[in-house]
Amino acid sequence: MENILFKANRLCFFETICFANIAIPAGRTTFVTGPSGTGKSTLLRLFNGVLSPTHGEIFYNGKNLKELDTIDLRQRVLLVSQAVFLFEGTIRDNFKAFYEHRELPAPSDDVIAEFLTVCCLPFAPDASCNNMSGGEKQRLYLAIFLSFRPEVLMLDEPTSALDETTARRVMGNILDYCRKEKITVIAVSHDKALTEKFAENILALERVENNYA
Amino acid sequence: MREVVQLGIYQFSAVYLLLIVVLAIMKRSKINQTKLLIVASFRMTVQLVLAGLVLTYIFENRHPLFTALYLTAMIAFSIKRTLGKSPGLNKRFKLAVAASIALSGLSVLVFFVTGIVGQNIANPQYTIPLAGMIVGNAMTGVTLALKAFSDSLKSQRAKIDSLLNLGASPDKILLPYVNNALETALLPTMNGMVGMGIVSLPGMMTGQILSGTLPTTAIMYQIAIMIAICTTVCLAAFCSLHFGYKTLINKRNQIKLIGD
Repeated sequence: MENILFKANRLCFFETICFANIAIPAGRTTFVTGPSGTGKSTLLRLFNGVLSPTHGEIFYNGKNLKELDTIDLRQRVLLVSQAVFLFEGTIRDNFKAFYEHRELPAPSDDVIAEFLTVCCLPFAPDASCNNMSGGEKQRLYLAIFLSFRPEVLMLDEPTSALDETTARRVMGNILDYCRKEKITVIAVSHDKALTEKFAENILALERVENNYA
Repeated sequence: MREVVQLGIYQFSAVYLLLIVVLAIMKRSKINQTKLLIVASFRMTVQLVLAGLVLTYIFENRHPLFTALYLTAMIAFSIKRTLGKSPGLNKRFKLAVAASIALSGLSVLVFFVTGIVGQNIANPQYTIPLAGMIVGNAMTGVTLALKAFSDSLKSQRAKIDSLLNLGASPDKILLPYVNNALETALLPTMNGMVGMGIVSLPGMMTGQILSGTLPTTAIMYQIAIMIAICTTVCLAAFCSLHFGYKTLINKRNQIKLIGD
């Protein structure tokens, strides 16, 4: 029997967003699809505990999210949000600043280079981020988050600023890396071609009438 | 010392003529705030006339209760105004702001009146005007601090969300904004101190000199009040921000930004 990583029953976030029962398998790449307003991004934020459901419960590895330490959960279940944020300065400065917020020592240039390669960003660690294009910033943002090697990597529109070819290469590399490191991936994407190519499991959200609250 | 010249009512009324200059400039520069200028001038006049009458009554009928009532009204008004200018705060944040303004203002005031001037705190002649300056500046400082804090949170949403998703502690995420807002609140007071005596002769000192006090005494009061104001602004803004920002974080380490 397949190992279920996330399970949620009768889940609602206020009255506007409700979900049918949800199960996300461990160790596979799940794409969350559905029309706008069905709560795709909200679901990811409920999974990492940045939001709490107004109704229903979520279980991670069989444990109720309510009983888990939220900071620890977010570090294990890492969400790369749609809105990219980078600090001023170089690529190295950015890795350092994000690692400082996790109270971890900055990674070496070799480690930085490794993750830049995974995310198809051919820059040196001392390259400045200030003049990067939107797509380059998005790849750097992905590289930084991936370098924390979480248990679960949640990607919210990870390739929205990338052209089709780059999007496929980056996604392919990230998923290869995650498969190798046994990281479960949950991705939200509007890109149908990307979903068809990479999804091992699809969670199709639809508007659910709120009958729970 | 010479007595202060008493202003006659007609003589005094002539000062309103100066507002015509402001109105003319505003009209020429297409600043559509004529109504505000008139309302502001009118309100100021009415409020100060009332304050003058009330203070005259209190000075003539000295009673600690009157001083206490006046102080309470002053603090309540400054809290109301600060909260009115800082929309979107949650209830606990509002409470933190109110307590910070009241307690910082009162503690510095008590120290000033009893410790520096050596008067009874119930003496309205010292307590009321000094409270006005101290609490008034606390109000401006805290308003500035809250605006800076709220604006920076709004403009840095992507950063806050990113760091929260990363698993950083909410305190660590929000504290830099708290510190920046405190700096913003303190700068005008400190800049004012830098220029004082050269660029400007401050209000309290001018008032005392006009009413016949020796300039050497007036400067001591001015120096003392400036330090008291700086301390109150710092304390009130620090406490408002420090107790306030914690109300944005819940037990689940979630952050609810101001106005959300």
